[in-house]
Amino acid sequence: MILYLLKRLGVFVASTAVAGVLVFAFMAVLPGDPAEVALGVNATPEAVAALRAEFGTDRPAVTQFADWFGGLVTGDFGTSYVTSAPIGPQIAERLNVTVALVLGGMVIALLIAVPAGTFAAVHHRNPVGAAISAASQVGIAVPAFLAGILLVFVFAVKAQALPSGGYVPIADDPAEWLRSLLLPWLSLGLVQGAVLTRYVRSAVLDVMRDDYLRTARAKGRGRMGALWRHGLRNASVPVVTVLGLQLATLLIGAVVVERVFVIPGLGDLLLNGVAGRDLLLVQGVVMVLVAAVLLINFLVDVAYAALDPRLRGAR
Amino acid sequence: MLSVEGLTIAADGVELVHDVSFAIAPGERVGLIGESGSGKSLTALSLMGLLPEGVTASGTARLRDRDLVGVPESRMKDLRGSELAMVFQEPMTALNPLMRVSTQVAEVMTLHGVPRDKARARAAELLGPVRLPRPEQVARAYPHQLSGGQRQRVMLAIALANGPGLLICDEPTTALDVTVQKQMLDLIAEVAPALLFITHDLAVVASVCERVLVMYGGRVVESGPIREVFTRPRHRYTEGLLAASRLTPRGTRLPTIAGSVPAAGTFPGGCEFRNRCPHADTTCEQPPALTGEGHAHACWHPADRG
Repeated sequence: MILYLLKRLGVFVASTAVAGVLVFAFMAVLPGDPAEVALGVNATPEAVAALRAEFGTDRPAVTQFADWFGGLVTGDFGTSYVTSAPIGPQIAERLNVTVALVLGGMVIALLIAVPAGTFAAVHHRNPVGAAISAASQVGIAVPAFLAGILLVFVFAVKAQALPSGGYVPIADDPAEWLRSLLLPWLSLGLVQGAVLTRYVRSAVLDVMRDDYLRTARAKGRGRMGALWRHGLRNASVPVVTVLGLQLATLLIGAVVVERVFVIPGLGDLLLNGVAGRDLLLVQGVVMVLVAAVLLINFLVDVAYAALDPRLRGAR
Repeated sequence: MLSVEGLTIAADGVELVHDVSFAIAPGERVGLIGESGSGKSLTALSLMGLLPEGVTASGTARLRDRDLVGVPESRMKDLRGSELAMVFQEPMTALNPLMRVSTQVAEVMTLHGVPRDKARARAAELLGPVRLPRPEQVARAYPHQLSGGQRQRVMLAIALANGPGLLICDEPTTALDVTVQKQMLDLIAEVAPALLFITHDLAVVASVCERVLVMYGGRVVESGPIREVFTRPRHRYTEGLLAASRLTPRGTRLPTIAGSVPAAGTFPGGCEFRNRCPHADTTCEQPPALTGEGHAHACWHPADRG
């Protein structure tokens, strides 16, 4: 068990380091010298050289990388070439918002998918189960931003019950924070929930055919009791895989939803950075997103081990 | 102990098991043999109330004074695992892979009213009598850490945990190695309170059971004491089955039963076996009744009458 976790942790750390090299290398080969961009076309070569020295971009690439990556470990993302503001705190602030957005969306997706998928599997022979399958099919076809716009139209414009956009930090007003995130959560959660429903349904259907469910019934459990006690945990193994992939998709997909709902998250910061040619900021945000996806994969591996003793190599 | 009267099982209007009747006395070990598709497993599952969705049973089956057929699931569920228990064919998949053996053994006791801590303590004790070495260690193990034979012993321990009146075994040794098979069969014969043993293996039935029911096409075609049936078969199907399982001298052809088992619902009317039977004639278009005390048969042209 411990050996397995250490191995997975090693893979996580190594792949994050490799990702760091790739992100840095990709940004380094992009044309455009930050010093030249900052000073404009009329700058003297001496001024450009001086600014390069100030930014540290005149040093060898390896030194720059070591400096940048070493800083990341301590949470120091460097200072923006454009705004001269430290990047780390900005990313931290935005990351909080995006994590709240994505996790909330995932919770809603799970709240929809687990009961609906299980129900659809148990009743797969009758019309209600088929209706759930059909509805989830429709949900998959709807992109999150369209769902967002529809939700805004219904709840914000027509019913005027919720704000159509904007974000209130939880520290300022928890109730308003909740209200400001409710529609974004729903627009992410409904779509992901529809996708997940199909996976839950097929996982539960598979498990329902398994012999140990019949054993559980032979022991004296009812159909649902057997499924609840023995089936759901077994069904959750394939679902966790999909969940991990979905979390990663949601993280990237949040960029769009943040735009629709005017939420100052990581995606918003990334787009601003790109628009303002703030190279180091973009580099930092991309690195955080990549590391988050790798972290999710690591957590999925940990979840496998927690769920399935066969993967633990238990003695 | 168990009496089954006119048991009929159907799916989508197709009768799969017709009018099966038999009884098992306390302590008696009865074998149910037949090819795949003969309806033997369905018969067993119907007694457990575990028929697949869309398959229904009618007729009566009583265990002591309790009805088993046409009883609501809520009542059946109380009987399963306590009054009657079943061991299935596939030991590799019959246990939950994510749960320790002790939990799975304890579960059958907690489901029938044994307090949790007492059930847990009893779980390891139950693994000794089914001859599992180092019961405490097995109790802590997960199913994937055990061999097929060990898992089947765990299944047997689960089945016997609440002291059921009847044990049903559906091909419990088919998936096991031959050496393990023999030990398992001896164990089952020794511990079963009353036994309904389903198999297609004649040798296995001969070593475990006292009485045998031969099924073909969803009907009991012959029944009686093992020795009687195996030495003087009456039904032509039983005769063919025994001939096919006998060792033949070198160089002679292995006797077989002509043709193959028809798909469910496509058996001929009258005697189900008549399209494969070398002795069939026009009388066989009428269904023969199962007649005879002790050693009964359902055949118009029984074998031991010349």
